[in-house]
Amino acid sequence: MASATRPATVRERVADSDRSVGRLLLVAAGALFWGWLVVSWVNRWLGGVLVPVGQPLVPAGAVEATLAAIPGLAAYASDAAFVVELTPELARGTWLTVVITAVSLAVGFVLAVPLAVARVYGRFSAWVSLGYTELLRGTPLLAQLFVLYYGLNLASYVPGALSGVFARDVVWVAILGFTLNGAAYQAEYIRGALESVEEGQITAGRAIGLSKLETIYYVVLPQGLRYAIPSWTNEFVYLIKYSSLAGFITVPELYYRADQIASETFRYTLIFVVTGVTYLALVLTASKLMERVEDRVAIPGIGSGSEE
Amino acid sequence: MSDDEFLRVSDVSKWYGEEKVLEEVSFEMDRGDVTVLIGPSGSGKSTMLRCVNRLAEAQEGSILLDGEEVLSPDLDVDELRREVGMVFQGFNLFAHLTAVGNVALGPRRVLGLSETAARERAEAQLERVGLGEQFDSYPAELSGGQQQRVGIARALAMEPKLMLFDEPTSALDPELIGEVLEVMHGLVDEGMTMLVVTHEMSFAREVADEIVFLDDGRVVERGPPEQLFDHPEEERTGRFLERIASHD
Repeated sequence: MASATRPATVRERVADSDRSVGRLLLVAAGALFWGWLVVSWVNRWLGGVLVPVGQPLVPAGAVEATLAAIPGLAAYASDAAFVVELTPELARGTWLTVVITAVSLAVGFVLAVPLAVARVYGRFSAWVSLGYTELLRGTPLLAQLFVLYYGLNLASYVPGALSGVFARDVVWVAILGFTLNGAAYQAEYIRGALESVEEGQITAGRAIGLSKLETIYYVVLPQGLRYAIPSWTNEFVYLIKYSSLAGFITVPELYYRADQIASETFRYTLIFVVTGVTYLALVLTASKLMERVEDRVAIPGIGSGSEE
Repeated sequence: MSDDEFLRVSDVSKWYGEEKVLEEVSFEMDRGDVTVLIGPSGSGKSTMLRCVNRLAEAQEGSILLDGEEVLSPDLDVDELRREVGMVFQGFNLFAHLTAVGNVALGPRRVLGLSETAARERAEAQLERVGLGEQFDSYPAELSGGQQQRVGIARALAMEPKLMLFDEPTSALDPELIGEVLEVMHGLVDEGMTMLVVTHEMSFAREVADEIVFLDDGRVVERGPPEQLFDHPEEERTGRFLERIASHD
């Protein structure tokens, strides 16, 4: 019925009743993680205003000494110091992971929407879209990256305007690869969502004199994209993790740096646990962010805004 | 043929594949007339209605609207639909837009009115159908009767010269039918030209200038309500009306 307040989603109700310690800890951990990342990046960009570039924000020696003084934690002091020593490298790698993911996802989305629309509403273009999607989803992403990097040697053709933005132009090749591949996956998610928009919505749009494209733009997409958010979040999460494949074409992102350090120090377990935790933090951030987006754009009767 | 002739449907036929759903249907309407199409389900009433704004394509015949051939392949269908409003059985409100958003979309995007002008027009139309309190409600927050009134306001906002009603009360709970019929009565009083598919026989009797009875895609009988309801000439018409009456 008509009411001033929109019905709360299940998630909102759960969140309201759960102001628990766990939630606070999660928020605190998130703040610490992103605080550390951002301060590390800013420090590097400004040429080491806080600590010399390449040095951890907190001296490893101090961490080791502190832990050594605490009974029970003393055994972990040297490991902790080792991890602290790693942090500048991890922060650098994480920056590239974040940028590659964000840019590829955004540009991929811009490509995916027309691909999905073509697939659902097109005639000839539906076949083009289907071919593209199946080709990109049906072949290994790593193989696609190898073709772009080794096969086509695209790193040497990066346009002037983009060249030099990153320390190495190969980063652009990785972004291109993830964009093209991600667009195919995103298009599939969006296609499914568009198909769930009722036929009557299109009929009604056409009946007031909107053209087919206008109906898609003003009526179908605003609904379909809302339906797509939960499954689209999957693609976001996957992309964060498979951006690590960029390491195989020498992009010094998080996984690549971790692997390098591990092969120099042989401390594989410790390094990849820390790296894994970093990916986990990125993934949790992404899914929390998308939950927020979903709640923000929720409309009664559509997707998660529905009471059913 | 009167000077006021506004809609002339002549020998319209339509097939879905092998199946003939409309067979040489003909009727005429003057400006300001209300014509009600009745008939059993599957008789082609809704299809006939949809041929008028080309949501369905008739394969044969002619539909002249205000002197223009609707079935002409050169006709701009979007232009046609600007002038012919349609109200659906299932409301088909845009689920992501508020009541005002639903009504304003056409004026804004099709007629090119400014944001403010479109909103003002939408609010005026919603007032007209008695929804002055529900401007910012989403379809899911409205009752069926309210949704259908938004649907009517949405069609009216385009200032159509003909309104098509496709079983506008069939999906409604009985207690909500009255409010929709009341709005439709109001339109009749204002002189709107209306082509209505409905099972509401008392409404048809009250407002219709002509009743067209369709069965199996054919016009079985047509005439003013008193004649058709009280003294049907065809046996089939009589049987249909009896069946409908026994349900009431």
